[in-house]
Amino acid sequence: MPNVTVRGPEAPRTIESLDPVFTVKNLSVFYGDYEAVRGVDMLIGNREITAMIGPSGCGKSTVLRCFNRMNDLIPGARPAGTIQYHGEDLYGDHVDPIEVRRRIGMVFQKPNPFPKSIYDNIAYGPKVNGVKGKMDDIVEEALTKAALWDEVKGKLKQNALSLSGGQQQRLCIARAIAVKPEVILMDEPCSALDPIATTKIEDLMQELAHDYTIVIVTHNMQQAARVSHRTAFFTAEVDDAGVRHGRLVEFDETSRIFTNPSDKRTEDYITGRFG
Amino acid sequence: MAVLSTPRSAVQLASKGTPVREHLFRTLLIASLVVAFIFMVALLSYVFVEGWPRLDSRLWENMPSIRNPDIAGAQSAITGTLWVISLTGLFTLPTGIAAAIYLEEYADKTRWYNRVIELNIQNLAGIPSIVYGILGLGIIARTLGLGFSVITASLTLGLLVLPIVIIASREALRAVPPSIREGSLALGATQWQTISRQVLPASIPGIATGSILALSRAIGEAAPLLMLGAVSFIRFNPDGIFASYTVLPIQIFNWISQSREGFHVLAAAAIVVLLVILLLMNSVAIWLRNRYQKRW
Ligand SMILES: Nc1ncnc2c1ncn2[C@@H]1O[C@H](COP(=O)(O)OP(=O)(O)O)[C@@H](O)[C@H]1O
Ligand SMILES: [Mg+2]
Repeated sequence: MPNVTVRGPEAPRTIESLDPVFTVKNLSVFYGDYEAVRGVDMLIGNREITAMIGPSGCGKSTVLRCFNRMNDLIPGARPAGTIQYHGEDLYGDHVDPIEVRRRIGMVFQKPNPFPKSIYDNIAYGPKVNGVKGKMDDIVEEALTKAALWDEVKGKLKQNALSLSGGQQQRLCIARAIAVKPEVILMDEPCSALDPIATTKIEDLMQELAHDYTIVIVTHNMQQAARVSHRTAFFTAEVDDAGVRHGRLVEFDETSRIFTNPSDKRTEDYITGRFG
Repeated sequence: MAVLSTPRSAVQLASKGTPVREHLFRTLLIASLVVAFIFMVALLSYVFVEGWPRLDSRLWENMPSIRNPDIAGAQSAITGTLWVISLTGLFTLPTGIAAAIYLEEYADKTRWYNRVIELNIQNLAGIPSIVYGILGLGIIARTLGLGFSVITASLTLGLLVLPIVIIASREALRAVPPSIREGSLALGATQWQTISRQVLPASIPGIATGSILALSRAIGEAAPLLMLGAVSFIRFNPDGIFASYTVLPIQIFNWISQSREGFHVLAAAAIVVLLVILLLMNSVAIWLRNRYQKRW
C-alpha cells in the first residue's frame, strides 16, 4: 500500500463536470528535433490545484511553460497538438503571448525578485500592464493575499533581496497576484526553501485556490498529496528508436492517485520503488 | 613509531606545507603588480615634477604660441578636447549600447549575418587607430564633406572606440541573470519593457565602466587626428561642431617637438591637465557604479 498519507482537499467535482481552464489534447513539445514530451492529454479544473509530479527530466516544466507560452522564449521550442484556454486555442495566430502571460502568472523554482524595493517589485507588473488605480492599494492587497503584508508593511522601500528566501518566494507570488491573473503556474516553488517556509507557501496555495486556478510542479510527492485536488504523474520512456520522451502516465483525483492508482508505474513511483 | 599511533583522520588533515610552486606563483603575481605600479608612479611623478613650474592659470587662460613658451597656454587644446570627447560620447555611447542590446537581447545567434557582425566587432577592436584616421579622412572629411572639423574628429574617434563600448556593454548585459528577464516577461511585460526597465538599469554599472574606458582611450588618441587637421596651429576655441580644432595630445606632441626647454615643461604641464580630465571621467564612472550597484 502507498506510504503517503493524503490529507489534501477533495476534488470538488468529477472530471466530467469539470469546467476546465485548460484543455490539453495530444500535446507534444519539441526542442529543435528532440521531442521532449509526447502525447499529453489533461484538463486543468477551474479554481483547483493541479499537481504535476514525476522523476526529473520527464517534461513537467516543459508542459507547464506551455501554459503561459514561456516556451516561446526558448529558440527552437515548439509545441504540437492543442492547448485550449477556455476553449480558445492558446497558440492560435491571433493570440498575443504578452496578454497570455498577463492572465496566467508564473512563480519560478528559485525566487527571482527584481533588485528593487519590495514596493517596486509588486508595482512593476501593474505598471507595465497600464493598470490605473491607486498603486499603494494594489501593493497592499497583493501583499496581503500572499500573506506577506504583516511582515513587510514597515519596510516597503527596502530592497527585496534583503528578505529571506521564503519571504522572497511569497513576494514573487504577490508580484504575480498584483496583475490579477486567473491562473498561477508554479514550478517547484518550494525546492529552494526550508520546511517552515515550505509550509507557509503550501498554506498560501490552499488559500489562493479559492480565487485562482493553480498548477504546481513538484518533486515532493507529499506536497502534491497535501495540497492538490488532482495530480498528473509523468515519467520518461524510451521509444523503439531509443529516444527518451516524457509521457503522462496517469491523471486523476489526487486521493485516487495516492491510494488507488490504476497504473503500475504510478504505484511504483509513489511507493518509492522507482524514480 | 609516532606516525602509526596518530589517528588516521588526523594524519589526512595534517598540513603538508605549502608547495614551492604555490609560493613561486604568488610571488610572480605580486611582482607583476609591483612593476606596473612602479611604472605608473614613476611616470606620474616625472610628469608632475617636470611640469610643476608651468602648472598655473596661464595654462588654461592663454592660447598656444611657438615663439614664447612663457606666455603660451593650452586653452584651445583643452576646449578642443572637451568638445571632441563630448561629441564622441554623444555619438558612440547610444550607438554602442543599442548595438549591444540588439546583439545580446534580440539577435538570433543561429543566423549567419549575426555571427558575421559579431566576428567583425571583435576584429574591429584590433585595428590600428591610424587606419581609422585614413577612413575618417577619406569618408567623413572628404566624401561627406565635413572637412577638418570637430565633428569629423568625433565621428572618427567614435568609430574607433565603438567596438570597445559594444563589447563592454554586452558583458554588462550578459551579467544580468536570465531569471530577471523571465520574471519580468512572466508578468506580461513586453521584451522592450523588460530591457528598458529591468535589464538596462541593472547593467548600468558595467556599461558606465566600459564607456568611460572607451572614452579614456579616445581622449588620449593622437594618431588618427594627425590626419584630420588637428595639427594646424589653432589660436581660438571651437565655436561649433564644424569649427577647426586641436586637442591636448596633439598640442603636447607639438610642444615636445620644439627644441627649447621651456616648451617641454609646458608639455609636461599639459599632460597633467589631460590626466586630470581622465581622472574626472573615471570618478563619474565610479560614482555611477556605486549609485546603481546591484547584488543578486
Ligand atoms: N531549453 C531546452 N532545450 C533543450 N532541451 C530541453 C530544454 N529544457 C528542457 N529540455 C529537455 O526536455 C526534457 C524535459 O525537461 P524538463 O521539462 O525540464 O523536465 P522536468 O521539469 O520534469 O525535470 C529533458 O530531457 C531536458 O533535457
Ligand atoms: Mg523542472
